[in-house]
Amino acid sequence: MNLFKLVWRNLLRRKGRFVFTLGGVAIGMAAFVSLLTIGQGLDREIKKQAQGLGANLVVTPKGWCAYEQISVLTGEQLPEAIPMSELDKIRAVPGVKVAVPYLNEKTAFRNRPVPLIGILPAEMRALQKWELAAGRYFDHPAEPAVVVGAAIAKQFQLKPGDRFTVRGQPLPVIGVLREAGNKDDVASFAPLPVVQKLYEVEGKVSFAAVQVDDLQQVDAVSLRIQEKANVAVVTDKQLLSSILSIVGTVSGAMQAVAAVGVLAAAFGIVNTLLTAVYERRREIGIMQAVGGTRRTLFGAFLLESGLYGLIGGVLGLMIGMLGAYVLGPYLTDNAFTASLRQSPVPSLDASTILLTFGLSIGLALVAGLYPAYRAAKLTPVEAMRYA
Amino acid sequence: MPETMIRIENVTKVYGSGEAAAAALAGISLDVERGAWVAIMGPSGHGKSTLLQIMGGLDRPTSGQVHLDGAELTRLGPTELAHTRARSIGFVFQSFNLLAHLTALENIELALWFGGKGHGDAHARAMSLLESMGLKEKAHMLPGTLSGGQQQRVAVARALANDPDILLMDEPTGNLDSAFEADLLNLLKRLHEQGRTLVMVTHNPAVAGHAQRLVRVKDGRIEEDRGNGA
Repeated sequence: MNLFKLVWRNLLRRKGRFVFTLGGVAIGMAAFVSLLTIGQGLDREIKKQAQGLGANLVVTPKGWCAYEQISVLTGEQLPEAIPMSELDKIRAVPGVKVAVPYLNEKTAFRNRPVPLIGILPAEMRALQKWELAAGRYFDHPAEPAVVVGAAIAKQFQLKPGDRFTVRGQPLPVIGVLREAGNKDDVASFAPLPVVQKLYEVEGKVSFAAVQVDDLQQVDAVSLRIQEKANVAVVTDKQLLSSILSIVGTVSGAMQAVAAVGVLAAAFGIVNTLLTAVYERRREIGIMQAVGGTRRTLFGAFLLESGLYGLIGGVLGLMIGMLGAYVLGPYLTDNAFTASLRQSPVPSLDASTILLTFGLSIGLALVAGLYPAYRAAKLTPVEAMRYA
Repeated sequence: MPETMIRIENVTKVYGSGEAAAAALAGISLDVERGAWVAIMGPSGHGKSTLLQIMGGLDRPTSGQVHLDGAELTRLGPTELAHTRARSIGFVFQSFNLLAHLTALENIELALWFGGKGHGDAHARAMSLLESMGLKEKAHMLPGTLSGGQQQRVAVARALANDPDILLMDEPTGNLDSAFEADLLNLLKRLHEQGRTLVMVTHNPAVAGHAQRLVRVKDGRIEEDRGNGA
């Protein structure tokens, strides 16, 4: 006989109550774990997308808020607000190596939304180091054709020679990009003049990505651009941190809500254990008569409570990870990162496990304190009075 | 001069307070010698069980002192008191008081664990106790599946687990039919011959007749204290 064996027996005596109490903990923890991992996955995904941008500075229209800045990474349709003339001014600023414009539009293809991005073919390819998986790249800067990302090609079974219709205009698919692992996979590309004409926004672009000659001079170049052109400029790091802080706030708030669920489950443990103390008063008295100390009784109830936390944590971790895989795409679809369509893949790291068990076992132990105290402070005679 | 095992001095026990106060024990002094077999008799509700509980450290007196094998129980803290109960005292109750969700064997192992025995030792000792009670085959059965007599023998085995000097029994035969009662009395006789100190509360004069000494309690006082026939 030992404490663990005794407690394990006690735990399984009221199987229904055990299952329901445990269910509360497991569900609370599952919500916490899935939101945590979805948040982490989102974080990773955003960092990856930011790298995929390949820019040191991002030039945006003046007055853009963080929400609009996020769309730079997501490829969301953007207001076309920077005139091409400003782009020329930017190019002329000393220290600017390249300034590559993006015109983000959206088209419907077979009733599905697909981002269509207007680009300068040669500059873009140099910046992104694009490689083709099939077909060819644009021959001249205004060729009326599209090149599609790997995921789009797969989704719609597109290959070179197929037709891609934009606003009623059929454009031939001439090439498929090799998978890049970022948002380029889920977009289609056409030369800037072609997209401008189709969407009737001649002379305008959504934003521009700038590379500088000397990374040490990023801030100076940024200031110079803002002096010369009527635009706003953010560094890639600022962009990333402002996006991460928004996403972090949102996922932090979601995790806090989930933690409240875990807290509610902890009250379930308190309830279950208080009931158990009440039911087992007589046994508590018998154990005391046979020589059980207060410490043993206190420890037994605390361990019982801790086991709810441990088992609930294990179940919560498993259900939560499963939930993140299944629900992750839907949840992130509605969040800011609407078109990060490659759903972030939840992954289990040591800090997640540590945080999960820390929360579930910690809360369960706190929940067990009061019932354990109630059990320990019973005197043998008062406990045994109940037949 | 025989050694005193249990010494009760001017013990009172009052339940409640103020006008509702009721004295269960109104000042009792009693010495029990080592190896004695004492029966406590008296009408219901006159303090017999309270006296037994105070003797065994399950309850504390309102005033007075209790000495057990030279140690003053009334001065011990709850933990030391629990250790004393585990090692020096075995309790047997009328309603057996086995833990219903533990097997016969585990009930005994529990007491051994409280007495500080390691797992392996406890298992072997519990098995041999059950064997000595003729219950080896019932070791892995739950108390609810055993007869009253069998349950009481498991309870006695549990009381003997840590080889205590003193056995305190509250109506040990109260729930047993006459065949089991004779069984248990034979067992108690053996324990008495081994030199253990036995104190039992009973209503039954025939059972009390086996003890060497008879103490009658009435209205929380000792009404009669005499040697018993043989």
